[in-house]
Amino acid sequence: MSAHKRRRAVVTGLGVIAPNGVGTDAFWKATKEGIGVLDLISREGCRHLPLRVAGEVRGFDPTTMVEERFVVQTDRFTHFAMAAAGLALKDAEFDIADRSAFGVGVVTASGSGGGEFGQRELQRLWGQGPSFVGPYQSIAWFYAASTGQISIRGGFKGPCGVVCSDEAGGLDALAHACRGIRGGTHAVVVGSAEAPLAPYSMVCQLGYPEVSLADDPERAYLPFTADARGFVPAEGGAMLMVEEESAARRRGARDRALLAGHAATFTGTSGWEKSRQGLAHAIRGALEEARCAPEEIDVVFADALGVPEADRAEALAIADALGPHAARVPVTAPKAGIGRAYCGAPMLDCAAAVLAMEHDVVPPTPNVTEVCYDLDLVTGCARSAELRTALVLSRGLMGSNSALVLRRGTAEPS
Amino acid sequence: MSSQLTFSELASLMKSCAGLTVDPKDLEKRPDCAFAEYNLDSLGLLGIVSELEKRYGKPIPAGPETCKTPGEFVEAINASLMAGA
Repeated sequence: MSAHKRRRAVVTGLGVIAPNGVGTDAFWKATKEGIGVLDLISREGCRHLPLRVAGEVRGFDPTTMVEERFVVQTDRFTHFAMAAAGLALKDAEFDIADRSAFGVGVVTASGSGGGEFGQRELQRLWGQGPSFVGPYQSIAWFYAASTGQISIRGGFKGPCGVVCSDEAGGLDALAHACRGIRGGTHAVVVGSAEAPLAPYSMVCQLGYPEVSLADDPERAYLPFTADARGFVPAEGGAMLMVEEESAARRRGARDRALLAGHAATFTGTSGWEKSRQGLAHAIRGALEEARCAPEEIDVVFADALGVPEADRAEALAIADALGPHAARVPVTAPKAGIGRAYCGAPMLDCAAAVLAMEHDVVPPTPNVTEVCYDLDLVTGCARSAELRTALVLSRGLMGSNSALVLRRGTAEPS
Repeated sequence: MSSQLTFSELASLMKSCAGLTVDPKDLEKRPDCAFAEYNLDSLGLLGIVSELEKRYGKPIPAGPETCKTPGEFVEAINASLMAGA
Protein backbone atom coordinates (compact mmCIF):
# COMPACT_ATOMS: atom_id res chain seq x y z
CA MET A 1 0.00 0.00 0.00
CA SER A 2 2.75 2.44 0.87
CA ALA A 3 3.91 2.54 -2.75
CA HIS A 4 0.49 3.93 -3.63
CA LYS A 5 0.45 6.45 -0.83
CA ARG A 6 -0.75 9.79 -2.06
CA ARG A 7 1.87 12.49 -2.39
CA ARG A 8 0.76 15.28 -0.07
CA ALA A 9 1.18 19.03 -0.52
CA VAL A 10 2.38 21.20 2.35
CA VAL A 11 2.70 24.97 2.65
CA THR A 12 6.28 26.02 3.34
CA GLY A 13 6.13 29.75 2.64
CA LEU A 14 3.68 32.67 2.65
CA GLY A 15 3.78 35.92 0.69
CA VAL A 16 1.06 38.49 1.35
CA ILE A 17 0.27 41.84 -0.26
CA ALA A 18 -2.94 43.00 1.41
CA PRO A 19 -4.79 46.24 2.04
CA ASN A 20 -4.01 45.84 5.76
CA GLY A 21 -0.35 45.02 5.31
CA VAL A 22 2.47 44.33 2.87
CA GLY A 23 4.30 41.26 4.15
CA THR A 24 3.05 38.46 6.38
CA ASP A 25 3.95 40.10 9.68
CA ALA A 26 2.10 43.34 9.00
CA PHE A 27 -0.88 41.43 7.56
CA TRP A 28 -1.16 39.07 10.53
CA LYS A 29 -0.79 41.81 13.13
CA ALA A 30 -3.62 43.84 11.55
CA THR A 31 -5.76 40.76 10.90
CA LYS A 32 -5.40 39.46 14.47
CA GLU A 33 -6.30 42.85 15.86
CA GLY A 34 -9.28 43.15 13.54
CA ILE A 35 -8.18 46.48 12.15
CA GLY A 36 -10.52 47.62 9.38
CA VAL A 37 -8.78 49.50 6.57
CA LEU A 38 -11.67 50.03 4.17
CA ASP A 39 -11.68 53.61 2.97
CA LEU A 40 -12.89 55.94 0.26
CA ILE A 41 -11.24 55.08 -3.04
CA SER A 42 -8.33 57.40 -3.70
CA ARG A 43 -6.98 56.04 -6.99
CA GLU A 44 -6.86 58.38 -9.94
CA GLY A 45 -9.84 58.34 -12.27
CA CYS A 46 -12.00 56.39 -9.81
CA ARG A 47 -13.19 59.01 -7.38
CA HIS A 48 -16.24 60.20 -9.35
CA LEU A 49 -17.79 56.73 -9.60
CA PRO A 50 -20.75 55.60 -7.45
CA LEU A 51 -18.62 52.76 -6.03
CA ARG A 52 -16.95 54.70 -3.24
CA VAL A 53 -15.38 52.34 -0.71
CA ALA A 54 -12.72 49.68 -1.29
CA GLY A 55 -9.70 48.00 0.24
CA GLU A 56 -6.70 49.65 -1.43
CA VAL A 57 -3.13 48.47 -1.03
CA ARG A 58 -1.53 51.80 -0.17
CA GLY A 59 2.14 52.61 0.02
CA PHE A 60 3.10 49.73 -2.28
CA ASP A 61 6.04 50.67 -4.51
CA PRO A 62 6.50 47.78 -6.96
CA THR A 63 10.07 48.79 -7.80
CA THR A 64 11.18 48.01 -4.25
CA MET A 65 10.05 44.39 -4.64
CA VAL A 66 10.17 43.63 -8.36
CA GLU A 67 12.91 44.32 -10.92
CA GLU A 68 12.14 47.34 -13.10
CA ARG A 69 12.19 45.32 -16.31
CA PHE A 70 9.24 43.29 -15.02
CA VAL A 71 7.49 46.36 -13.63
CA VAL A 72 7.39 48.17 -17.01
CA GLN A 73 5.99 45.18 -18.86
CA THR A 74 3.29 44.13 -16.39
CA ASP A 75 0.06 45.36 -14.81
CA ARG A 76 -0.45 46.13 -11.14
CA PHE A 77 -2.06 42.69 -10.59
CA THR A 78 1.21 41.08 -11.69
CA HIS A 79 3.25 43.50 -9.58
CA PHE A 80 1.29 42.26 -6.56
CA ALA A 81 1.65 38.59 -7.56
CA MET A 82 5.37 38.86 -8.27
CA ALA A 83 6.01 40.73 -5.02
CA ALA A 84 3.98 38.13 -3.08
CA ALA A 85 5.73 35.24 -4.86
CA GLY A 86 9.11 36.75 -3.98
CA LEU A 87 8.08 36.95 -0.33
CA ALA A 88 6.78 33.35 -0.34
CA LEU A 89 9.99 31.99 -1.87
CA LYS A 90 12.08 33.92 0.63
CA ASP A 91 9.90 32.78 3.52
CA ALA A 92 10.32 29.16 2.38
CA GLU A 93 14.07 29.68 1.91
CA PHE A 94 13.57 28.05 -1.44
CA ASP A 95 16.47 28.12 -3.88
CA ILE A 96 15.97 26.87 -7.43
CA ALA A 97 19.71 26.23 -7.69
CA ASP A 98 19.23 23.27 -5.33
CA ARG A 99 16.77 21.43 -7.54
CA SER A 100 15.55 20.64 -11.01
CA ALA A 101 13.77 23.59 -12.62
CA PHE A 102 11.39 21.11 -14.26
CA GLY A 103 10.09 20.06 -10.85
CA VAL A 104 8.87 23.54 -9.91
CA GLY A 105 5.61 24.90 -11.31
CA VAL A 106 3.50 28.05 -10.99
CA VAL A 107 -0.28 28.32 -10.75
CA THR A 108 -2.23 31.55 -10.31
CA ALA A 109 -5.92 32.42 -10.41
CA SER A 110 -7.20 35.55 -12.07
CA GLY A 111 -10.65 37.06 -12.27
CA SER A 112 -9.95 40.05 -14.47
CA GLY A 113 -6.35 40.19 -15.71
CA GLY A 114 -4.53 43.48 -16.15
CA GLY A 115 -7.31 46.04 -16.57
CA GLU A 116 -5.28 49.14 -15.79
CA PHE A 117 -2.47 48.37 -18.25
CA GLY A 118 -5.01 47.35 -20.88
CA GLN A 119 -7.01 50.54 -20.48
CA ARG A 120 -3.90 52.70 -20.85
CA GLU A 121 -2.84 50.98 -24.06
CA LEU A 122 -6.34 50.91 -25.58
CA GLN A 123 -6.69 54.63 -24.89
CA ARG A 124 -3.45 55.13 -26.81
CA LEU A 125 -4.78 53.00 -29.64
CA TRP A 126 -7.98 55.00 -30.09
CA GLY A 127 -6.54 58.35 -28.97
CA GLN A 128 -3.21 58.39 -30.82
CA GLY A 129 -3.03 55.39 -33.15
CA PRO A 130 -1.77 51.81 -33.35
CA SER A 131 1.92 52.76 -33.28
CA PHE A 132 1.45 54.23 -29.81
CA VAL A 133 0.46 50.88 -28.32
CA GLY A 134 3.42 49.22 -26.62
CA PRO A 135 4.22 45.58 -27.44
CA TYR A 136 3.85 44.51 -23.81
CA GLN A 137 0.10 45.06 -24.16
CA SER A 138 0.11 41.63 -25.79
CA ILE A 139 1.07 39.97 -22.50
CA ALA A 140 0.33 42.39 -19.65
CA TRP A 141 -3.48 42.35 -19.61
CA PHE A 142 -3.64 38.61 -20.21
CA TYR A 143 -4.98 36.46 -17.36
CA ALA A 144 -1.85 34.29 -17.57
CA ALA A 145 0.59 37.20 -17.13
CA SER A 146 1.35 36.59 -13.46
CA THR A 147 2.00 32.87 -13.88
CA GLY A 148 4.23 33.51 -16.89
CA GLN A 149 6.27 36.28 -15.32
CA ILE A 150 6.75 34.44 -12.01
CA SER A 151 7.99 31.38 -13.90
CA ILE A 152 10.33 33.45 -16.11
CA ARG A 153 11.70 35.42 -13.17
CA GLY A 154 12.30 32.33 -11.04
CA GLY A 155 13.41 30.01 -13.84
CA PHE A 156 10.60 27.57 -12.95
CA LYS A 157 10.01 25.15 -15.82
CA GLY A 158 7.58 22.70 -14.23
CA PRO A 159 3.85 22.49 -14.94
CA CYS A 160 2.30 25.95 -15.00
CA GLY A 161 -1.32 26.97 -15.16
CA VAL A 162 -3.87 29.70 -14.71
CA VAL A 163 -7.34 29.39 -13.28
CA CYS A 164 -9.52 32.06 -14.92
CA SER A 165 -12.55 32.20 -12.71
CA ASP A 166 -14.51 34.13 -10.15
CA GLU A 167 -13.50 34.44 -6.48
CA ALA A 168 -13.50 30.69 -5.79
CA GLY A 169 -10.74 30.32 -8.40
CA GLY A 170 -8.22 31.16 -5.67
CA LEU A 171 -9.01 27.90 -3.87
CA ASP A 172 -9.24 26.03 -7.15
CA ALA A 173 -5.68 27.18 -7.99
CA LEU A 174 -4.50 25.49 -4.77
CA ALA A 175 -6.31 22.31 -5.79
CA HIS A 176 -4.61 22.52 -9.18
CA ALA A 177 -1.23 22.84 -7.44
CA CYS A 178 -2.04 19.79 -5.29
CA ARG A 179 -2.83 17.78 -8.42
CA GLY A 180 0.55 18.84 -9.82
CA ILE A 181 2.28 17.66 -6.65
CA ARG A 182 0.40 14.34 -6.81
CA GLY A 183 1.48 14.01 -10.42
CA GLY A 184 5.17 14.29 -9.57
CA THR A 185 5.93 18.02 -9.35
CA HIS A 186 8.14 18.82 -6.32
CA ALA A 187 7.00 22.37 -5.68
CA VAL A 188 4.45 24.89 -6.91
CA VAL A 189 4.35 28.65 -6.39
CA VAL A 190 0.60 29.17 -6.16
CA GLY A 191 -1.93 31.84 -5.36
CA SER A 192 -3.62 34.92 -6.69
CA ALA A 193 -3.49 38.69 -6.58
CA GLU A 194 -5.85 41.10 -8.27
CA ALA A 195 -5.89 44.81 -9.07
CA PRO A 196 -9.50 45.76 -9.83
CA LEU A 197 -9.30 49.34 -8.56
CA ALA A 198 -8.71 51.20 -11.83
CA PRO A 199 -11.31 53.14 -13.87
CA TYR A 200 -12.21 50.53 -16.50
CA SER A 201 -12.27 47.68 -13.97
CA MET A 202 -14.33 49.75 -11.56
CA VAL A 203 -16.94 50.49 -14.21
CA CYS A 204 -17.21 46.75 -14.95
CA GLN A 205 -17.93 46.11 -11.28
CA LEU A 206 -20.76 48.64 -11.24
CA GLY A 207 -22.78 46.00 -13.06
CA TYR A 208 -22.67 43.63 -10.08
CA PRO A 209 -25.83 43.99 -8.00
CA GLU A 210 -23.88 42.56 -5.03
CA VAL A 211 -21.39 45.43 -4.84
CA SER A 212 -21.88 47.85 -1.96
CA LEU A 213 -22.36 51.47 -3.01
CA ALA A 214 -22.38 52.71 0.58
CA ASP A 215 -19.99 55.54 1.33
CA ASP A 216 -19.31 54.94 5.03
CA PRO A 217 -16.21 52.70 5.18
CA GLU A 218 -17.23 51.20 8.51
CA ARG A 219 -20.77 50.39 7.37
CA ALA A 220 -20.22 49.46 3.72
CA TYR A 221 -19.44 45.75 4.20
CA LEU A 222 -21.26 44.08 7.09
CA PRO A 223 -21.66 40.38 6.32
CA PHE A 224 -24.03 38.26 8.44
CA THR A 225 -25.78 41.32 9.86
CA ALA A 226 -29.19 42.89 9.30
CA ASP A 227 -27.35 45.86 7.78
CA ALA A 228 -25.61 43.81 5.08
CA ARG A 229 -25.74 45.80 1.86
CA GLY A 230 -23.25 44.07 -0.39
CA PHE A 231 -19.52 43.56 -0.56
CA VAL A 232 -16.63 45.95 -0.90
CA PRO A 233 -13.98 45.14 -3.52
CA ALA A 234 -10.28 45.08 -2.74
CA GLU A 235 -6.92 44.60 -4.39
CA GLY A 236 -3.94 42.44 -3.44
CA GLY A 237 -3.68 38.77 -2.61
CA ALA A 238 -1.30 36.07 -1.48
CA MET A 239 1.07 33.52 -2.96
CA LEU A 240 2.06 30.31 -1.22
CA MET A 241 5.06 28.05 -1.63
CA VAL A 242 3.63 24.55 -1.74
CA GLU A 243 5.88 21.49 -1.75
CA GLU A 244 5.57 17.74 -1.74
CA GLU A 245 5.72 16.75 1.92
CA SER A 246 8.73 14.42 1.88
CA ALA A 247 10.74 16.66 -0.47
CA ALA A 248 10.07 19.60 1.85
CA ARG A 249 11.16 17.55 4.84
CA ARG A 250 14.35 16.40 3.10
CA ARG A 251 15.48 19.95 2.46
CA GLY A 252 14.60 20.96 6.02
CA ALA A 253 11.76 23.29 5.04
CA ARG A 254 9.15 24.32 7.60
CA ASP A 255 5.95 22.37 7.06
CA ARG A 256 3.45 25.06 8.03
CA ALA A 257 0.20 23.49 6.89
CA LEU A 258 -1.13 20.57 4.92
CA LEU A 259 -3.49 21.18 1.99
CA ALA A 260 -5.71 18.32 3.03
CA GLY A 261 -8.85 18.46 0.89
CA HIS A 262 -10.69 20.53 -1.69
CA ALA A 263 -13.89 20.37 -3.70
CA ALA A 264 -15.69 22.77 -6.01
CA THR A 265 -19.20 23.02 -7.38
CA PHE A 266 -21.05 25.36 -9.72
CA THR A 267 -24.55 26.63 -9.12
CA GLY A 268 -24.80 29.47 -11.63
CA THR A 269 -25.95 33.04 -11.31
CA SER A 270 -29.69 32.68 -10.91
CA GLY A 271 -29.98 33.38 -7.19
CA TRP A 272 -27.75 33.03 -4.16
CA GLU A 273 -30.08 30.57 -2.42
CA LYS A 274 -28.74 27.94 -4.83
CA SER A 275 -25.25 28.36 -3.43
CA ARG A 276 -26.50 26.67 -0.23
CA GLN A 277 -26.60 23.27 -1.85
CA GLY A 278 -23.45 23.87 -3.92
CA LEU A 279 -21.36 25.13 -1.05
CA ALA A 280 -22.54 22.34 1.29
CA HIS A 281 -21.61 19.81 -1.37
CA ALA A 282 -18.17 21.40 -1.78
CA ILE A 283 -17.61 21.30 1.99
CA ARG A 284 -18.58 17.62 2.13
CA GLY A 285 -16.23 16.86 -0.77
CA ALA A 286 -13.33 18.71 0.85
CA LEU A 287 -13.92 16.92 4.16
CA GLU A 288 -14.04 13.58 2.41
CA GLU A 289 -10.80 14.17 0.57
CA ALA A 290 -9.18 15.33 3.80
CA ARG A 291 -10.65 12.30 5.67
CA CYS A 292 -11.90 14.82 8.15
CA ALA A 293 -15.01 14.53 10.32
CA PRO A 294 -17.12 17.71 10.65
CA GLU A 295 -16.28 17.85 14.37
CA GLU A 296 -12.60 18.14 13.57
CA ILE A 297 -13.07 21.58 11.97
CA ASP A 298 -11.75 24.09 14.50
CA VAL A 299 -12.39 27.30 12.54
CA VAL A 300 -14.27 28.34 9.41
CA PHE A 301 -13.13 31.26 7.24
CA ALA A 302 -16.43 32.20 5.66
CA ASP A 303 -17.05 33.56 2.18
CA ALA A 304 -19.19 36.29 3.80
CA LEU A 305 -20.53 38.06 0.73
CA GLY A 306 -22.53 40.59 2.73
CA VAL A 307 -25.71 40.10 0.69
CA PRO A 308 -28.54 38.86 2.96
CA GLU A 309 -29.67 36.07 0.62
CA ALA A 310 -26.08 34.89 0.16
CA ASP A 311 -25.20 35.12 3.85
CA ARG A 312 -28.26 33.06 4.71
CA ALA A 313 -27.32 30.45 2.09
CA GLU A 314 -23.80 30.23 3.49
CA ALA A 315 -24.95 29.87 7.10
CA LEU A 316 -27.34 27.10 6.01
CA ALA A 317 -24.65 25.40 3.90
CA ILE A 318 -22.30 25.30 6.89
CA ALA A 319 -25.13 23.80 8.97
CA ASP A 320 -26.03 21.30 6.25
CA ALA A 321 -22.44 20.08 5.92
CA LEU A 322 -21.20 20.27 9.51
CA GLY A 323 -24.42 19.29 11.29
CA PRO A 324 -24.71 20.22 14.99
CA HIS A 325 -21.01 21.23 14.98
CA ALA A 326 -21.96 24.24 12.80
CA ALA A 327 -23.46 26.05 15.78
CA ARG A 328 -20.31 25.52 17.89
CA VAL A 329 -17.40 26.06 15.51
CA PRO A 330 -15.90 29.56 15.46
CA VAL A 331 -16.54 31.29 12.14
CA THR A 332 -14.70 34.39 10.99
CA ALA A 333 -14.50 36.77 8.03
CA PRO A 334 -11.39 38.95 8.21
CA LYS A 335 -12.27 40.21 4.73
CA ALA A 336 -14.94 42.44 6.31
CA GLY A 337 -12.01 44.68 7.27
CA ILE A 338 -10.08 44.59 4.00
CA GLY A 339 -12.64 43.86 1.28
CA ARG A 340 -12.82 41.11 -1.30
CA ALA A 341 -9.89 40.94 -3.67
CA TYR A 342 -11.74 38.56 -6.01
CA CYS A 343 -9.52 35.46 -6.55
CA GLY A 344 -7.05 37.00 -4.12
CA ALA A 345 -9.65 36.99 -1.32
CA PRO A 346 -9.68 33.24 -0.51
CA MET A 347 -5.87 33.25 -0.82
CA LEU A 348 -5.68 35.92 1.89
CA ASP A 349 -8.02 33.73 3.95
CA CYS A 350 -5.71 30.75 3.43
CA ALA A 351 -2.72 32.81 4.58
CA ALA A 352 -4.74 33.93 7.61
CA ALA A 353 -5.80 30.32 8.29
CA VAL A 354 -2.18 29.09 8.29
CA LEU A 355 -1.17 31.92 10.63
CA ALA A 356 -4.23 31.37 12.84
CA MET A 357 -3.33 27.69 13.30
CA GLU A 358 0.29 28.59 14.05
CA HIS A 359 -0.74 31.06 16.72
CA ASP A 360 -3.88 29.28 18.01
CA VAL A 361 -5.87 32.44 17.50
CA VAL A 362 -9.08 33.05 15.54
CA PRO A 363 -8.90 36.56 14.11
CA PRO A 364 -12.12 38.58 14.37
CA THR A 365 -14.56 39.89 11.77
CA PRO A 366 -13.95 43.67 11.70
CA ASN A 367 -16.83 46.17 11.86
CA VAL A 368 -19.44 43.49 12.58
CA THR A 369 -21.27 43.43 15.92
CA GLU A 370 -24.81 42.00 15.72
CA VAL A 371 -24.88 38.68 13.90
CA CYS A 372 -28.30 37.59 12.66
CA TYR A 373 -27.60 33.95 11.74
CA ASP A 374 -27.06 30.86 13.82
CA LEU A 375 -23.28 31.02 13.60
CA ASP A 376 -20.61 31.62 16.22
CA LEU A 377 -19.08 34.51 14.29
CA VAL A 378 -16.00 35.84 16.04
CA THR A 379 -16.38 39.62 16.34
CA GLY A 380 -14.66 42.35 18.29
CA CYS A 381 -11.46 40.70 19.54
CA ALA A 382 -9.46 37.70 18.43
CA ARG A 383 -10.28 34.46 20.26
CA SER A 384 -7.72 31.96 21.55
CA ALA A 385 -8.50 28.37 20.61
CA GLU A 386 -6.52 25.29 19.77
CA LEU A 387 -6.66 25.17 15.99
CA ARG A 388 -5.61 22.03 14.19
CA THR A 389 -7.90 22.12 11.19
CA ALA A 390 -9.32 25.06 9.25
CA LEU A 391 -12.02 25.23 6.59
CA VAL A 392 -11.82 28.05 4.03
CA LEU A 393 -14.91 28.83 1.93
CA SER A 394 -15.26 30.88 -1.21
CA ARG A 395 -18.06 31.64 -3.63
CA GLY A 396 -17.86 33.62 -6.81
CA LEU A 397 -20.22 36.09 -8.41
CA MET A 398 -20.44 33.84 -11.46
CA GLY A 399 -21.64 30.84 -9.46
CA SER A 400 -18.59 28.86 -8.30
CA ASN A 401 -18.43 27.42 -4.78
CA SER A 402 -15.23 26.02 -3.30
CA ALA A 403 -14.08 24.64 0.02
CA LEU A 404 -10.57 23.87 1.26
CA VAL A 405 -9.49 21.98 4.39
CA LEU A 406 -6.09 22.88 5.84
CA ARG A 407 -4.40 20.95 8.63
CA ARG A 408 -1.82 22.44 10.94
CA GLY A 409 1.77 21.66 9.98
CA THR A 410 4.52 20.34 12.20
CA ALA A 411 6.64 23.52 12.21
CA GLU A 412 6.80 25.78 15.25
CA PRO A 413 5.77 29.40 14.61
CA SER A 414 8.76 31.59 13.86
CA MET B 1 18.08 63.22 -31.53
CA SER B 2 20.69 63.02 -34.28
CA SER B 3 19.86 61.45 -37.61
CA GLN B 4 21.90 58.37 -36.65
CA LEU B 5 21.18 56.07 -33.72
CA THR B 6 24.00 55.96 -31.15
CA PHE B 7 24.74 53.40 -28.43
CA SER B 8 23.98 56.06 -25.88
CA GLU B 9 20.50 56.57 -27.34
CA LEU B 10 19.97 52.83 -27.47
CA ALA B 11 20.87 52.57 -23.78
CA SER B 12 18.30 55.22 -22.87
CA LEU B 13 15.65 53.48 -25.02
CA MET B 14 16.40 50.19 -23.26
CA LYS B 15 15.69 52.00 -20.01
CA SER B 16 12.51 53.81 -21.08
CA CYS B 17 10.97 50.99 -23.14
CA ALA B 18 12.07 47.90 -21.23
CA GLY B 19 13.10 49.08 -17.77
CA LEU B 20 16.71 47.97 -18.22
CA THR B 21 19.61 49.90 -16.77
CA VAL B 22 22.53 49.55 -19.17
CA ASP B 23 25.80 51.47 -19.36
CA PRO B 24 26.13 52.82 -22.94
CA LYS B 25 29.88 52.22 -22.70
CA ASP B 26 29.22 48.49 -22.30
CA LEU B 27 27.11 48.47 -25.46
CA GLU B 28 29.84 50.30 -27.33
CA LYS B 29 32.70 48.15 -26.00
CA ARG B 30 30.92 44.86 -26.68
CA PRO B 31 28.60 45.43 -29.66
CA ASP B 32 28.39 41.67 -30.24
CA CYS B 33 27.18 40.81 -26.76
CA ALA B 34 23.64 39.42 -27.16
CA PHE B 35 20.61 41.49 -26.10
CA ALA B 36 19.58 38.44 -24.08
CA GLU B 37 22.60 39.05 -21.82
CA TYR B 38 21.02 42.38 -20.92
CA ASN B 39 17.62 40.68 -20.40
CA LEU B 40 16.17 42.48 -23.41
CA ASP B 41 13.54 40.20 -24.97
CA SER B 42 11.95 40.35 -28.42
CA LEU B 43 8.97 42.39 -27.22
CA GLY B 44 11.34 44.90 -25.65
CA LEU B 45 13.21 45.31 -28.92
CA LEU B 46 9.92 45.67 -30.79
CA GLY B 47 8.98 48.48 -28.41
CA ILE B 48 12.28 50.23 -29.16
CA VAL B 49 11.69 49.97 -32.93
CA SER B 50 8.21 51.39 -32.50
CA GLU B 51 9.59 54.28 -30.41
CA LEU B 52 12.20 55.02 -33.10
CA GLU B 53 9.49 55.05 -35.78
CA LYS B 54 7.64 57.68 -33.80
CA ARG B 55 10.80 59.76 -33.28
CA TYR B 56 11.88 59.66 -36.90
CA GLY B 57 8.30 60.05 -38.08
CA LYS B 58 8.49 57.23 -40.59
CA PRO B 59 8.10 53.46 -40.66
CA ILE B 60 11.22 51.30 -40.30
CA PRO B 61 11.04 48.32 -42.71
CA ALA B 62 11.06 44.84 -41.19
CA GLY B 63 14.45 43.56 -40.08
CA PRO B 64 15.93 45.43 -37.11
CA GLU B 65 13.48 43.86 -34.63
CA THR B 66 15.07 40.46 -35.24
CA CYS B 67 18.64 41.64 -34.49
CA LYS B 68 20.35 39.72 -31.70
CA THR B 69 23.03 42.24 -30.67
CA PRO B 70 23.33 46.01 -30.11
CA GLY B 71 25.94 46.33 -32.87
CA GLU B 72 23.76 44.58 -35.40
CA PHE B 73 20.72 46.63 -34.35
CA VAL B 74 22.39 50.04 -34.51
CA GLU B 75 23.80 49.17 -37.92
CA ALA B 76 20.42 47.96 -39.22
CA ILE B 77 18.56 51.03 -37.97
CA ASN B 78 21.13 53.42 -39.40
CA ALA B 79 21.15 51.62 -42.73
CA SER B 80 17.38 51.90 -42.81
CA LEU B 81 17.54 55.62 -41.98
CA MET B 82 20.17 56.23 -44.67
CA ALA B 83 18.13 54.32 -47.25
CA GLY B 84 15.06 56.35 -46.46
CA ALA B 85 16.89 59.70 -46.31
